[in-house]
Amino acid sequence: MNKVLFFAHLRDAVGGAEFLSVDAGGKTVAELKAELAAKYDLPKMDTVMTAVNEEFAANDEVIQDGDEIAFIPPVSGG
Amino acid sequence: MNERYSRQVLFSGIGKEGQAKILSKHVLIIGAGALGSGSAEVLTRAGVGKITIIDRDYVEASNLQRQQLYTEEDVAEKLPKAAAAEKRLRAINSDVEVVSIIGDATPELLEELVVGVDVMMDATDNFETRMAMNDVSQKYKVPWIYGACVGSFGMTFSMIPGKTPCLNCLLRSIPLQGMTCDTGGIISPAVQMVIAHQTAEALKMLVEDWEAVRTSFVSFDLWRNQYTSLKMSKAKFAGCLSCGEERTYPYLDQENMTKTTVLCGRDTVQIRPSSAGEISLERLAGQLSSLGYVVKGNPYLVSVEMGEERMVIFQDGRALIHGTKDLTHAKSVYQRILG
Repeated sequence: MNKVLFFAHLRDAVGGAEFLSVDAGGKTVAELKAELAAKYDLPKMDTVMTAVNEEFAANDEVIQDGDEIAFIPPVSGG
Repeated sequence: MNERYSRQVLFSGIGKEGQAKILSKHVLIIGAGALGSGSAEVLTRAGVGKITIIDRDYVEASNLQRQQLYTEEDVAEKLPKAAAAEKRLRAINSDVEVVSIIGDATPELLEELVVGVDVMMDATDNFETRMAMNDVSQKYKVPWIYGACVGSFGMTFSMIPGKTPCLNCLLRSIPLQGMTCDTGGIISPAVQMVIAHQTAEALKMLVEDWEAVRTSFVSFDLWRNQYTSLKMSKAKFAGCLSCGEERTYPYLDQENMTKTTVLCGRDTVQIRPSSAGEISLERLAGQLSSLGYVVKGNPYLVSVEMGEERMVIFQDGRALIHGTKDLTHAKSVYQRILG
């Protein structure tokens, strides 16, 4: 299983919990994004930054069982 | 050394030598909203030799809750933010050379302004300008510090050409429908937290303590008590068009910019975004009406009343701003909502 954290408005979109438990082992970051976007009707995920174990991960990185994932949407306010 | 900077000089990271460097440096601040006001005040008090600040908007009542340089008087006079900022900054520290520019930070203008600049501070409200800053940073080898916030959430990252990944490595394209302060709201502590990170980074760069510059990407949520610091060593993208071997600086090219056109005889400006893509009209309409805007829509467009203007947004991100012929103002209205 994987602990998946959501930041900013994405956290509201998945119901506000601190994290979700998702079985993402073997999937790429892009696949997990697509799956979550469909399930929770998330706004555009392609430019959302992803961290795997607190390290920046590209869309083609493969997630291992037990990895902690965080989705951080770039915001533009200033 | 001036008594004025004695407490900063006592700080071991700066010292007399560091202060002398700060006094001789030039910082360019892009945007004079919440982040720009805060950064400008910190850096002016710190004694930066020259500060150039650019902004295209004027001061409005809804700015006062967080934009620390402005007063009710500035609102009453509808002063351009850059002009109001310059007045206040000069009053704070008359030793600093403050240059204010009222206008749109286009790639062309940024390429002029960056000459002789030591650090660029990001205080803009949209990704198009940030991508242009990012290309200018790479082309002229001037570091810049990304900062952004919305709600109780904020993020910051320092970018040093030739050393760190750049913004284009991280995003690969301009995010369409990014959250902005006009759609997601904003609390002042989130602004201050971003400013604290950005200006600390700036001071490190100004005293040339490059070892101390943070290499991680920080994001936090002050309401939900989240704080993360991401390692970015794997984020550099070899094929990046802004910082890779085959770089073209795509965001300095007018072709990749938001297109604004005045529609003849209609008191309307058309805006076409730089990157094609679909936006969710339903989500946008929901967001805007929950913020109290008068919103009408159908499956093809959303129409929203915004004070004296009305904006109509189509699914491909194109918009018509009715009630103005001012291109810069229309782009500002658009980017306030769509980021």
